[in-house]
Amino acid sequence: MDVQPGEAVLLVGGNGAGKTTLLRVMSGLLKPNRGQIECAGAVGMVAHHTMMYDALTARENLAFFARLHGLPKDGREDRLLELLGLSDFASERIVTFSRGMLQRLAIARSLMHEPDVMLFDEPLTGLDDAASHIVLDVIAELEARQAALVIATHQLVELVGVAARVGFMVQGELAAMEPIDGRDAGGVVSRYRELVAADGG
Amino acid sequence: MADSRVAAVAFAVAAKDLRVEWRTKTAFLSAMVFAVLVLAVLYFARDKTAVGDYALAPGALWVTFTFAGMLGLNRAFLLERENRALDGLRLTPASATGIFLGKILGNLVFLGVVELVSLPLFILFYDVPIWRQLPLLLGVIVLATIGFVAVGTLLSAMVVRTRFSEVMLPVLLLPFLVPPIVSAVQLTWRILALRPLSEMTGWLSLLGSFDIIFFTLSLMLFEAILVE
Repeated sequence: MDVQPGEAVLLVGGNGAGKTTLLRVMSGLLKPNRGQIECAGAVGMVAHHTMMYDALTARENLAFFARLHGLPKDGREDRLLELLGLSDFASERIVTFSRGMLQRLAIARSLMHEPDVMLFDEPLTGLDDAASHIVLDVIAELEARQAALVIATHQLVELVGVAARVGFMVQGELAAMEPIDGRDAGGVVSRYRELVAADGG
Repeated sequence: MADSRVAAVAFAVAAKDLRVEWRTKTAFLSAMVFAVLVLAVLYFARDKTAVGDYALAPGALWVTFTFAGMLGLNRAFLLERENRALDGLRLTPASATGIFLGKILGNLVFLGVVELVSLPLFILFYDVPIWRQLPLLLGVIVLATIGFVAVGTLLSAMVVRTRFSEVMLPVLLLPFLVPPIVSAVQLTWRILALRPLSEMTGWLSLLGSFDIIFFTLSLMLFEAILVE
């Protein structure tokens, strides 16, 4: 599997198919049992969990991760909060945030160091329409900035339009990697079911 | 340059931990309540005619510090389990050394505050005239606390992914703490009894050696523990 700069690839598969594990291996959080991962640049990741601290405010969380990245104090926390529509909540502890706000803040955290490779694990789960649009705009902007994107998702209706290719995960293996070629969400699901059936599922 | 990055990461992690503790006060309040209770219970439970202040005081002091400190050590990495924040740390280029030193620094400050608040209570309960010997006693407290925190921070990181980490930490940590706690109790007894320094050098050497060995070992092992 390879992902080029400026390309978005969807990862599709049932629960337990290995999408999250693959993303964690790609990010370096897990060591692969075999094979190797090569990343040409910095990696950012948005996962199921925010990876942040409830007792800190949104700005404090971002400032903390900026310091760990060794980034200068140049106000990027506030710029990212504005980009993700969270400026009004910058000084609030994130324990009070809704699921959608936390997801957007997690995206802000992952963008702090302007990564060349972005890994999204179910980026739209639990988001309302407005929040989904903000996240989709961020994904489009990352593609335009030539970042390589891998997006694991069940929400194909919203995301099938942003990707060039789709990878089908079946029982821990990447069963196929194909161009989207104008397929809609239904077409992708049909193809996934074919692959599962071929695998004996 | 690399050293300054390690220091910057360490200060950032320690400042974050202390800020979270300041906001929640979970571990600090538990530790303080525990400290007051232990000092009071041990004081009132004894027969004063059979067990004098000097016989009980060193043990009471170190039992208090050890178990109150454990509450803080438990909290240090449970904080990183919340929302899988540890993954967030690992996704940054921050070195394991910087993260570990930050955790150590945060724990030292936490435990230092607990000890500073407990010490006057200890003096009040046990009526021990330590003022002249205070610098020496503080030196022993600092030495013992460094060893305690170094091992405790490492073990806290080890058990944080287990289901019963709050129970596992004391079980694993207490055997390691026998040398520094025994040394600290022996030294405290000698300090309170105004014994000469020559009677303390052996225990001080043991305490110092424990600190150097376990601080170095913990620093070397932490990176392996961070990786899943």
